[in-house]
Amino acid sequence: MSKHSWKIGVGLASMLLGMLLVFQFRTETNVKTYLPQFTTASELGIKWNRMQTDLNKKEEELKRLRQLIQEYNQEEELKSLRMAAGVTPLRGPGVEITLTDVQRPLKSYEDPNLFIVHYDQLELLVNELWAAGAEAVAVNGERLVAQTGFSCAGTTILVGTRKLAPPYIIRAIGDAVTLKAALTIPGGFIDSQILPFELGIKIEIKDSLYLPPYRGSSVFNYAAVVPEETEEPTPVDGEAEVETDEAGEGWEIVGEGEVL
Amino acid sequence: MLLIPLIGIALGVGIGLFLPWEIPLSYKNYTALAILATVDAIFGGMRAELEGNFIFSKFIVSFFANALLAVGLAYFGYSIGIDIYLGAVVAFSIRLFNNLSLIREFLLIRYRQRGNEQ
Repeated sequence: MSKHSWKIGVGLASMLLGMLLVFQFRTETNVKTYLPQFTTASELGIKWNRMQTDLNKKEEELKRLRQLIQEYNQEEELKSLRMAAGVTPLRGPGVEITLTDVQRPLKSYEDPNLFIVHYDQLELLVNELWAAGAEAVAVNGERLVAQTGFSCAGTTILVGTRKLAPPYIIRAIGDAVTLKAALTIPGGFIDSQILPFELGIKIEIKDSLYLPPYRGSSVFNYAAVVPEETEEPTPVDGEAEVETDEAGEGWEIVGEGEVL
Repeated sequence: MLLIPLIGIALGVGIGLFLPWEIPLSYKNYTALAILATVDAIFGGMRAELEGNFIFSKFIVSFFANALLAVGLAYFGYSIGIDIYLGAVVAFSIRLFNNLSLIREFLLIRYRQRGNEQ
């Protein structure tokens, strides 16, 4: 016994060591599988500190936003939206443009159709004004809004659903000098649309113009508001092109049929 | 000489793999100390055997006493917030290296003697 007792003692201790190693290794592996990113308390502490800083930042932002809500002026917002929608009368400096048909008596061989103001000329003029930074435009006292379109019905021009008669008086609020320059630029609206047809045009710069409100309806039977978060992405260029191509082909077929 | 602990460890690993146990997470550090104590006991036992003064009862008693002291120190350290278990780890490690160097000396001497005899 005494000769070999050390073998028993050391052997038993070694067995114990092996078992302990296995158990410890198992625990260690489990810990690493369940909590891969946190290995030590100090790392957790660092993370906690960072999160605390984040929390403080977010709380400050929340406070700032709450302040913003309190200061938020609904009246002001509503006013600017109404101005943009064109439902309020406006007053401001701008230009007053008067368009008239040709004044001189036409010669017998001249086509009178060429010497009157057409709806597309009016549309070009208004587009030019918008592009030059006009804030509000009215034609013969009819305020132009997002839904307004120009069209012709027989011999009269329609703006929206209202019939117009010459002379056409277009009032635009904005930087008068810029608006006037946009029309009189060489090769611009007057050069291309007025002078060739000998139409009458008069551009006056006014300090104070009154624009009446839009009086049409604003009923939406088909459109529904989309919440801002769920806004759909606009289609990429490729898809849009495909659609226009199809539409174009369709048009061609209809056009040929009509011509024939 | 070195065969006994190696066989023992292999057996222990085999048994451990068959047993489904694992160490609870909160006792992880204590088992680490227990492992160190066991390693210390193995080397200590081998050294005592080489010196010719191995006593089984002494071996067992000192093993458990060391392990208990280490674990007790660790527990005490945790409860007062100081890492005293590091002291136990250092002490065990020093003893390990000590024992190892002595075992090495003995084995070398024995090897040389055998060489001379032949």
